[in-house]
Amino acid sequence: MANLNGRARQENTYDAIVVGSGITGGWAAKELTQKGLKTLVLERGPMVRHLEDYPTATMDPWQTKYPQGQLPSDELNAKYPVQKRTGYTLTEYTRHFFVRDDQNPYTEESRYDWIRGYHVGGRSLTWGRQSYRHSPIDFEANAREGIGVDWPIRYEELAPWYDHVERFIGVSGQAEGLPHLPDGQYQPPMEMNCVEKAFKAKSEARFPERRITMGRTAHLTDPTEEQLALGRTKCQYRNMCIRGCPFGGYYSSNSGGLVAAERTGNLVIRPGSIVTSLIYDEKAGKATGVRILDATTRQEEEFYADVVFLCASAFNSAWIMMNSTSSRFPNGFGNGSDQLGRNVMDHHLGVGASGEAPEFADMYYSGRRPNGIYVPRFRNLGDAATKRSDYLRGFGYQGGASRPGWDRDLTRPGQDPSGPRGFGAARKAALSQPGPWIIGLGGFGEILPYEDNRITLNRDKTDEFGLPTLSMNVTIRENELAMRRDMQTAAAEMLEAAGFKNVEGRDGGYAPGLGIHEMGTARMGRDPKTSVLNAHNQVHECKNVYVTDGAAMTSASCVNPSLTYMALTARAADHAVQARKRGDL
Amino acid sequence: MLSRRDAIRGLTFTFGVAATGFAGRAMAAAPALGWTPTALTPDQARLVDVVAELIIPKTDTPGAREAGVPQFVDRALADYYNKAQADRLRAGLARMDADARAAHGDVFVALTPEQQIELLNGYDREAAAAQGHTAGEPHFFPLLEDLVTVGYFTSEPGATVALSYDPVPGAYHGCVPLAELGRGWATR
Repeated sequence: MANLNGRARQENTYDAIVVGSGITGGWAAKELTQKGLKTLVLERGPMVRHLEDYPTATMDPWQTKYPQGQLPSDELNAKYPVQKRTGYTLTEYTRHFFVRDDQNPYTEESRYDWIRGYHVGGRSLTWGRQSYRHSPIDFEANAREGIGVDWPIRYEELAPWYDHVERFIGVSGQAEGLPHLPDGQYQPPMEMNCVEKAFKAKSEARFPERRITMGRTAHLTDPTEEQLALGRTKCQYRNMCIRGCPFGGYYSSNSGGLVAAERTGNLVIRPGSIVTSLIYDEKAGKATGVRILDATTRQEEEFYADVVFLCASAFNSAWIMMNSTSSRFPNGFGNGSDQLGRNVMDHHLGVGASGEAPEFADMYYSGRRPNGIYVPRFRNLGDAATKRSDYLRGFGYQGGASRPGWDRDLTRPGQDPSGPRGFGAARKAALSQPGPWIIGLGGFGEILPYEDNRITLNRDKTDEFGLPTLSMNVTIRENELAMRRDMQTAAAEMLEAAGFKNVEGRDGGYAPGLGIHEMGTARMGRDPKTSVLNAHNQVHECKNVYVTDGAAMTSASCVNPSLTYMALTARAADHAVQARKRGDL
Repeated sequence: MLSRRDAIRGLTFTFGVAATGFAGRAMAAAPALGWTPTALTPDQARLVDVVAELIIPKTDTPGAREAGVPQFVDRALADYYNKAQADRLRAGLARMDADARAAHGDVFVALTPEQQIELLNGYDREAAAAQGHTAGEPHFFPLLEDLVTVGYFTSEPGATVALSYDPVPGAYHGCVPLAELGRGWATR
């Protein structure tokens, strides 16, 4: 269907279109509808309604079809050869929240683990929920070090929007007063267990600059009136978040942003709508809407609006722009800089250390805390004491202490045997008790923006809808490798300093994508010649299109990015509403 | 951690089975199946029933049989295992009967508990010795023991009686004396 006329066109016209319904799409929808804009949210996958569509949320262990809910290896290999690479995300409990790789192909020029879910709410249902602010040094680093381009904003410009987002989503955490990990609006922190408390006391005594704090996580510990009114309640410590939370204990689009948006009466969500391109009006010099492919009918349709927000995730927003060519934009929408699809970043992880804490054998815990401890970055903070000569930027650690359960001596490939395992009553009794305390730290490191770490549009390989696919070419370099060596050494040092036993550093390897934090494919910057987006997330070359997901990131920091995506989205939505009022779009 | 008292109680119980006269060279040692296997033959199912109960016996908490583990193994063979895994497990079951005949002249389920335990101890030692060597197929015994262990501790009796299960804890307490809780948690 090409251009619609008259009434049909009017019916498909909104004030704003939001592409994607995940962590940023939900925020764009909430902010735009609350500010009075009739908003259409287009989601390529099926509807997932809060509470109603969490089919596994209250399943007990004995209700699974498969042992421990693990999918059969033949099925994993056939349908989920990429999604299974995390080792933990894809189970009988969660498979409906992840894509089937056999139906969503892409090309790995180098290995890229693209972990994703296509449904209303996107990865906001399955995210890790850790919520940290970028710091002033994160926004300044590119300019100071001559890496990539300068962020067009500074921390102070985003700070009020971090406040705004944290108040709405609810973040539990401990204020620490650190300039390199700014405090926010926190609900009471979760509790450390005995071993973590001992670790904090002893490691901080030896390494005072390596602060150990409770993870800051988007879970309610003391919900506000606003959160309760949305139907959310406090975290029940089930730790089954990835299945969807029947208590609304953690933030998702489904339990938060989309609910608030729906209540304004200004929201329309259209699932099953694959946005294939932006519609560009050459004469007006702006976008007039988007084209979609209906996933069910396979019919093309057009929707129109004054303003379009791309919130489809870093790679898919870039894909839509690359696929939106016109005589004005022959190389992709708003791609005069040739930066579209470049500068792919993630967080590199899988390296750290672990140890044992036998002296706490008579202590245990109750409840399943969906959170761990956090060690904010302590390298390259701008002073001589923390300066590293072997790499730029830094890393944080996430970790925690726990006692393994009954499944601790199941055969695992590569596990070293210590003799016969035995069987019978003695083994049964032993496995009915908790295993020895284990404490671990795992690093999350910053990856620099490299121009040649890029995704490109592959028109030769199409998906089941006949749409072009992506090719990935992303690797980590010497800076990241040098950082990983330090990540392993420093983690072991801290555990040793705390007196833990059998401390072992380990690098389990990392492939780009495994952080599930892809970003950078349409970076913000000051100059249209070297960046795709301006300081308000507007496409430099087409001001009524905003891109506010991970694509916008100019540098990665080492902290989990979703909080920053949400703050950028809320800020951009406010800008769009004001600009539209002024007639500037 | 396992206390000395628990360990001793467990041992007493295992060997107590033989002392109470339950043993004997009779098929009656294995109770009739109360269910119909789909992937296992009836003979294999009876064997799995006996071995599962040896791996996780009834103590002060239910054993594998009461927890429905033999049925769980049957379901895993039907729905979960790929062909290589299923073949390995079936070959293991066949070997148990063959070894039982060679050593004692009858199928595994007809042996005395002492004879059965001795055979399983042999497999356990063999598997430990074979682990770490890359050559050759993985041993069937850890495969079977893992499946029985998973089946048991994810069953309702295993999770809620042998372990503690709390679907909605409501709170997290980070430092609780183990003595107050008594058992490990069924889920993490």
